[in-house]
Amino acid sequence: MAADPIDAAGQAPLERVPTGIPGLDTVLRGGFLKAGIYIVRGEPGTGKTILGNQFCFNHAAAGHHAIYVTLLAETHDRMMQHMQTMSFFEPARIPDGLYYVNGFRVLEEDGIKGFIDLLRREIRTHDATLLVLDGLIATEESSESDLEFKKFILELQAHIAIEGCTALLLTNGRRNEYHPEHTMVDGLIELHDVLFGTQTERELEVRKFRGTDALRGRHSFRITDGGIVVYPRIEALLARPTADDQWPDERCATGVNQLDAMLGGGIPRSTATLVLGASGSGKTSLGLHFFSQSSAQEPGLFFGFYETPLRLRHKAAGLGIKLDGLIEQGQLEFLWYPPTEDILDALGNRLLEAVRRRRVKRLVIDGLLGFQEIAADRPHRIGRFLTALANELRVLNVTTVYTAETRNLIGGVIEGPTIGLSTIAENLILLRYVEIRSQLRRLISVVKMRDSDFDSSLREFRIMSTGIELAHTFDSAEAILSGFPQLKTEELPADKAARRPRVK
Amino acid sequence: MATVLVVDDEFGIVDVLETILTDEGYRVVTACNGKQGLMRLSAEKPNVILLDFMMPILGGAEMLRAMAAEPAYQRIPVIMISSLGEDVIAEKCKGYAAFLHKPFRAAAVLSTVARVLVSGANAAA
Repeated sequence: MAADPIDAAGQAPLERVPTGIPGLDTVLRGGFLKAGIYIVRGEPGTGKTILGNQFCFNHAAAGHHAIYVTLLAETHDRMMQHMQTMSFFEPARIPDGLYYVNGFRVLEEDGIKGFIDLLRREIRTHDATLLVLDGLIATEESSESDLEFKKFILELQAHIAIEGCTALLLTNGRRNEYHPEHTMVDGLIELHDVLFGTQTERELEVRKFRGTDALRGRHSFRITDGGIVVYPRIEALLARPTADDQWPDERCATGVNQLDAMLGGGIPRSTATLVLGASGSGKTSLGLHFFSQSSAQEPGLFFGFYETPLRLRHKAAGLGIKLDGLIEQGQLEFLWYPPTEDILDALGNRLLEAVRRRRVKRLVIDGLLGFQEIAADRPHRIGRFLTALANELRVLNVTTVYTAETRNLIGGVIEGPTIGLSTIAENLILLRYVEIRSQLRRLISVVKMRDSDFDSSLREFRIMSTGIELAHTFDSAEAILSGFPQLKTEELPADKAARRPRVK
Repeated sequence: MATVLVVDDEFGIVDVLETILTDEGYRVVTACNGKQGLMRLSAEKPNVILLDFMMPILGGAEMLRAMAAEPAYQRIPVIMISSLGEDVIAEKCKGYAAFLHKPFRAAAVLSTVARVLVSGANAAA
């Protein structure tokens, strides 16, 4: 069991009991407090029993003893049948590390006092440092008054404190809206099943956590083959980046020499660059060029939503970009998550885990819209989510290229993502189509590079079998900027400013 | 009419066992833990015991040990019942006659009880 370091005021450390449930200990800042009493509340089917069992098995696996006491719940054999599909379920932990008992008959025959005696005795007999009581509502219903129920909580609190045992009380609520027990326990965790449109998402919220901090607000979780996995909300987890910011003052090659020249030597290291353009304008191709410059010193990750790794490898081959050797050497990795049903924070956590695992230094996030689509039911979150993610990637010294699609294919107004771009990306590269003599041509321009000089001129570029090639100059830039270069001068709009591309 | 003592902390299991055994013509007495089970022995003199492994106050293994120490109870056949595997029960419990894995079918309970009663009678003869 872990202990908090002694704080500056010299306070005694608070000993923690980690749950071993992925993500939950992060939300709880290390786990429950030893000998604390906590309520886990949720409607039927929200995952309380799995949470309680998973905690018990993990506790037993760590060499401790746990007891799981049921009241009016499913039978133990049925519970075990449901649990045995999950990887945390290890039958060998029962009965020495984890012991199941049913206390309903004792509660029914001997009342609250008899039940307290039973719990006390079982904790002692099995030397338990964790007690899970599944079905707190049955004790409430067996109590003759609120006072008796409160006395039950108080007595249990006193006994577990003496025994050094942490208690988790699982309940699906109360007969009425008055919850006197909530004021008495050390913490309250609520599990919710939330409907967004036609999609449901499980959420966990720490409503109360005495004596220590916890990540506030709701956090999504899933019930997987490995049990419960909690995904801490990225903007809460990374409200501040995990390290100090650095300014390496170095450049990263994009893989396109002429573009590097426009950028003054490449993309500044540990910054984020947004490549904005219409569908098919060359965003992913440019990302693949940047990705291909990965090396053992600068491992690369291509995190995409739309094209599978196989198709991306074919696309790279079509551009003359050879990735196979780099992939075999472990210098590149593709991750693909189609924007169907997923959890925004699961995506964010997977991305950060992949970056940290391989110490990624070059990252392409292909399709910023993918995050927006996953968060479609909670659009207010996306800006804060991406800001927290971008800040963390900077302090991890990752140079990131995001691609994002503009809504209009051709025209004078560029409609970009609806999120605030300035907090996500320091640099902005714009790819556009223009019509020239009934042909679609591509233009590239560097719109923004924070605190750095760059060539702002507009260049035509072509996507060849040898990769992206930029023209050295573009003669008709003034006309092409309007998006209507085939029009004669007298047909152009009078207001010149209106003809400049505007990024929304 | 043989008497069956059912010792289990899960009241749902006890109720089901009591019903199917009573329907079959057995006399059934129940207890919700090993301590209560031991107390029933002298008064009820069961012919066979269905004994759960994990129970509060006194578990199945402890009740078996207590019975082994008392000559009057050593000949009563015990059927262990548990959701754990028989390997675990065999390691922790000594001297039981048969094992039933939870969840069980009524037919399996009745045939095991009948078989254990017959072999107990043969052994006594």
